Amino acid sequence: MRSDRQDDDLFDETRLRRALRLEVAELPSRFDVAAIAARARADGAAFAAASLASTAFAGVAAAGLVGLVVAALPVVAPAVASDLFTAAIETLTRVAVPASALLSLAEQPTVPIAALAALAVAIVHEYTLRREPVREVTS
Amino acid sequence: MAASVALRIDLPMARMASPVTFADGVREHQDEVYGVALRITGDREAALDVASSTFLKAYRAFDRYDQTRPLRHWLLRIATNEAITYVRKRGRELRRRVEVEHATTLADPTALPDAESVAREDRARIRAAVSLLPELYRVVIVLRYFNDLSVDEIAQVTKRPASTVGVQLLRGRALLRSALEAGR
Repeated sequence: MRSDRQDDDLFDETRLRRALRLEVAELPSRFDVAAIAARARADGAAFAAASLASTAFAGVAAAGLVGLVVAALPVVAPAVASDLFTAAIETLTRVAVPASALLSLAEQPTVPIAALAALAVAIVHEYTLRREPVREVTS
Repeated sequence: MAASVALRIDLPMARMASPVTFADGVREHQDEVYGVALRITGDREAALDVASSTFLKAYRAFDRYDQTRPLRHWLLRIATNEAITYVRKRGRELRRRVEVEHATTLADPTALPDAESVAREDRARIRAAVSLLPELYRVVIVLRYFNDLSVDEIAQVTKRPASTVGVQLLRGRALLRSALEAGR
């Protein structure tokens, strides 16, 4: 069975190779290396000219854009700056109101932060100790 | 151990002593480059265009080509990519399908089949079946059975993993076999 399959594969491969081989009539005429080089040089020159033109166009367009921005800036800048300043102040106010409340709470002598931290550590420790026997029982 | 080290050192030095020129590369590999293009595109004019653009691209990039690697694989990679691009761009698939079907019905049924005409017909049927394979399989089948590359070499040329190439070869051959059996 296996050898049949191998024979079949070998047959297929030989047949494929023979069928795909180039026949004499299919062979192209020789490629002219000098012509390839000349075409590459010509294409290279055309490509260089095209890239120079596109670079120049991009440069002019960028310069125009920069000029437009520079011209428009004195007119637009005060309004933009004013809007930005207002927005910044509003944001600061929104953050400052809850932050000041929290800060004042922390400053209260009746709420000792260290005591709260110690309580949290104690809870975590206790929780860890309680879990140990459970592990022993289940394993 | 020493011999293998010497071999490793000698190879690039031998290359440096007699570097391959572009003209040598064209002379040595033009039939193979044209052939791979012909078998992938299935069209002589297209194959000539593909081979020309392959050599043009190779000429432009020749100083960047790593001379420690085989020139043959580099050229075949460019040619394969060019052929694939060509096939995709021109939408040759559909047109060729019609041409191949037409070509396979050209045989004169009244003519007595001698050994040569049977062999020619067989070749034509196989080529038609190869040209109808999906591009993925066609490329590996052509590189394997036209260019006689090993699986690892095909992997290098196509930049696909060797295991993938192996699977694609098997699948491509199975598709070919069923196409040929269906055509009988």
